[in-house]
Amino acid sequence: MSLLSVEEVSVRFGGVMALQDVDLSADPGRVTGLIGPNGAGKTTLFNVITGLQDPTSGKVLIEDRDVSGMKAHQRARLGLARTFQRLEVFGSLTARENVLVAAEIRRRWAKDGSNPKEVTEAILERVGITGAANERVDAMPTGLARLVELARALAANPRLLLLDEPGSGLDTQETEAFGDLLLELAQEGLAILLVEHDVELVMRVCELIHVLDFGKKIAEGPPSEIKADPRVQAAYLGADEDAAPDEEVVPS
Amino acid sequence: MTEFLAFTITGIVTGAVYAIAASGLVVTYTTSGIFNFAHGAIGMVMAFLYWQLRVHMHWPAPLALIAVLFVAAPLFGALIERVLMRNVRGSDTGVALMVTLGLLLALIGVAFWRWKQTEPRALPEFFAGHSVRILSVNLSWHELISIGVAIVVAIFLRVLLYRTRTGVAMRAVVDDRDLTALNGGNPSRMSALSWALGSMLAALAGVLLAPKLSLNVLVLTFLVIDAYAAAIVGQLKSLPLTFVGALALGLGEAYAVGYLPTSGFLSHIKPALPMLFLFAVLLFLPQVRLRVGRVVGGRSVRVPGWREVGITGVLLVGATWILATIFTGPDLATLGQGLALGIIMLSLVLLAGYGGQTSLCQMTFVGIGAVVAAKISHGSSPLGLLAAAGAAGAVGAVISLPALRLTGLYLALSTLAFAVLADNLFFLQVFGGGGGKNLHRPSILGISFNGDVAYTVLLAVVFMLLAAFVLAIRRGPFGRLLSAMKDSPAACATLGLDLTRTKVGVFALSAAMAGIGGVFFGQLRGSVGSTDFYYVQSLVLLLMVTIGGIMTVSGAFLGGILLGPGFYVLAKIIHIDGLTFLGAGLGAMTIARSPNGIVGQVSGFVDRFRRRPAAPEDGITGVEVTEEVERVVAPVG
Repeated sequence: MSLLSVEEVSVRFGGVMALQDVDLSADPGRVTGLIGPNGAGKTTLFNVITGLQDPTSGKVLIEDRDVSGMKAHQRARLGLARTFQRLEVFGSLTARENVLVAAEIRRRWAKDGSNPKEVTEAILERVGITGAANERVDAMPTGLARLVELARALAANPRLLLLDEPGSGLDTQETEAFGDLLLELAQEGLAILLVEHDVELVMRVCELIHVLDFGKKIAEGPPSEIKADPRVQAAYLGADEDAAPDEEVVPS
Repeated sequence: MTEFLAFTITGIVTGAVYAIAASGLVVTYTTSGIFNFAHGAIGMVMAFLYWQLRVHMHWPAPLALIAVLFVAAPLFGALIERVLMRNVRGSDTGVALMVTLGLLLALIGVAFWRWKQTEPRALPEFFAGHSVRILSVNLSWHELISIGVAIVVAIFLRVLLYRTRTGVAMRAVVDDRDLTALNGGNPSRMSALSWALGSMLAALAGVLLAPKLSLNVLVLTFLVIDAYAAAIVGQLKSLPLTFVGALALGLGEAYAVGYLPTSGFLSHIKPALPMLFLFAVLLFLPQVRLRVGRVVGGRSVRVPGWREVGITGVLLVGATWILATIFTGPDLATLGQGLALGIIMLSLVLLAGYGGQTSLCQMTFVGIGAVVAAKISHGSSPLGLLAAAGAAGAVGAVISLPALRLTGLYLALSTLAFAVLADNLFFLQVFGGGGGKNLHRPSILGISFNGDVAYTVLLAVVFMLLAAFVLAIRRGPFGRLLSAMKDSPAACATLGLDLTRTKVGVFALSAAMAGIGGVFFGQLRGSVGSTDFYYVQSLVLLLMVTIGGIMTVSGAFLGGILLGPGFYVLAKIIHIDGLTFLGAGLGAMTIARSPNGIVGQVSGFVDRFRRRPAAPEDGITGVEVTEEVERVVAPVG
């Protein structure tokens, strides 16, 4: 039994199939990658999983429980948290307040007696943004604001974390540290589903990778298999299957 | 059977006029993305203009019609698009709401000023005296014309929007303005055209409606507002469904007149029917999807520290005391009124400023508070205050529930609907014909506040206490939550927040505060009547606090002072009817340029003066966030 199972999910926008019979699962203790070219349907799938988009058909299960009829906040209370590809930060608040709000929201529904202020400080420290904690988020560079979104998601103390391109806007060193953090979180038992264009990062941290193209899943497997898969190379390069792989896109 | 047929035909006629008005609303909304709250007021002003030409200046009907429908109305529509709506585009729905509400009030003001309501006026029907007999029912030519015009409008709009290049371009502009321009369209011309068309349809409805009713400013403005209910059936998009809605509404009203008892509670339902209809439709609309992909922020204002609040409070109460001993009679009363209005406006700072929700029925809650408190020991006991807050809060929770699932526009519409409903059902019943309810001033800890000076000082103290309460909310977890919810509802939902419950909570709290304001409002005046809570008063209130600065408690203070003493002084200089409406309306139309109102302008100026470093421009709101382009076509090859 996986923590998250997506079963035959399809989403149709007018005449376009954004997702077509997609299956996917994510398990505790590991980072699962979800890659694919722009417009492959990755963000749409995240929206379906978190309840922001109703699927045309198919279902989403959390620990074998069908959550298809549930609203976004009800799913969050089952332990789902996410970040957004196009930032959804609380722009008029500081970084610290962004995380604090999340911790306060969690305390409301979890009623676990946690101290939001303590939780906030610990998470700010862990994500490494304590130095920028008093800055208003709408005045931050994108990379830093993405880390605020990650910290905010962690403040909900989730079991499954969905990250939508968290690495874009980070420099090499920051990306390195970010990868370490993801591996650490997974080791602690968190299930992470990662959408990311930085393939190097994906190959480093993911145990299992799903590849989407034009709304369909075209491959699934460990990084080594995915790297060698001609369909994946074709999808990324838009070239024939026998075309040479581009090192920048899929480094070997 | 004849009776039923007669009602049916009357219903079809009313429905036809509603359809014309509603389709104008839909045309502007679908082609400009802005919901024009002033639609009814435009129809009203055009009906008056038609009266001016046709009756007052004795122009022949065809000439007057051409002048109004094909010259004045389209020119006016294009003018408001060019002068007002261009600034609004791209800003949030709240700004568009304020600007169109401002236009609504300004037009009411102009009408009161130009056409004094004390003078009786009547507009003759077209071909008055001529009628035909259809299935044993008499149908006047005017009524036949109304039906005919509605059919012509329906066909014309359908052909225009779907069969002509211009119509397709008009629809394209609202989908993607820049893309339309890139494809050789002229977005400015298309927007102007759609506003001209919308304005023509409003005028047409006004001219057809006016002879059937009295030529009264508020009645005519309000009747075209009824058409909103029809437009909602088509979710402001579908013209055929809008026509269906209009017809259903017209028939419903006709049958209500025909078959409901002529006395008792049910007899008052007829004028409230369109609004009941609107509520019913809102309940059936599907819940909107949460939007993602926006970065919001930047509109927050500095929150003062407690020391600052304390010092300001002492200064305010002291200054009020000094002024209260200097002023007498109406001067003193108007100072108190400013403070009482400020107290009520604080409820809007919480709701709209912090919470990002709109209420167009805040004076209704004020009225509920005043009436409930008057029932309990004439409002002078703490119990009355509690009951007022409880009753207004409970009503607020119930009426906001259906609309909070939807977008801000629907909340605005349903609160407006509720205000009109309460005017016709609740206040009319409570006050009867022109009666009032008395409220007595309290004694607190053995001190009597019966005297005008003492009561004015009490109002200043109450204002400061409630302002401190609002600020405490702003600084606490709930205030943070409201800011977060305003910035990104989607993110809040994915963190486990029940948005609807939170929104209902803040709406109820704000309504309760307005209820408390109602008690003080009533005690100050000694008695209240139904006109104090008429729906337009709620609009004036919202616009004035927006002009003052809806994000801050000082904005509420300033709004109250402007609305009370401000207009009192202005009326001594400018002697025209409808001055408050005109002033509030014109003021609100400047909102597009400064959404934080006067307080925002002043504090911005002070900040610049102090040379404080401003927030860096190149943050995420400054830079265009590149959107992942959805790939919809397969690459060639």
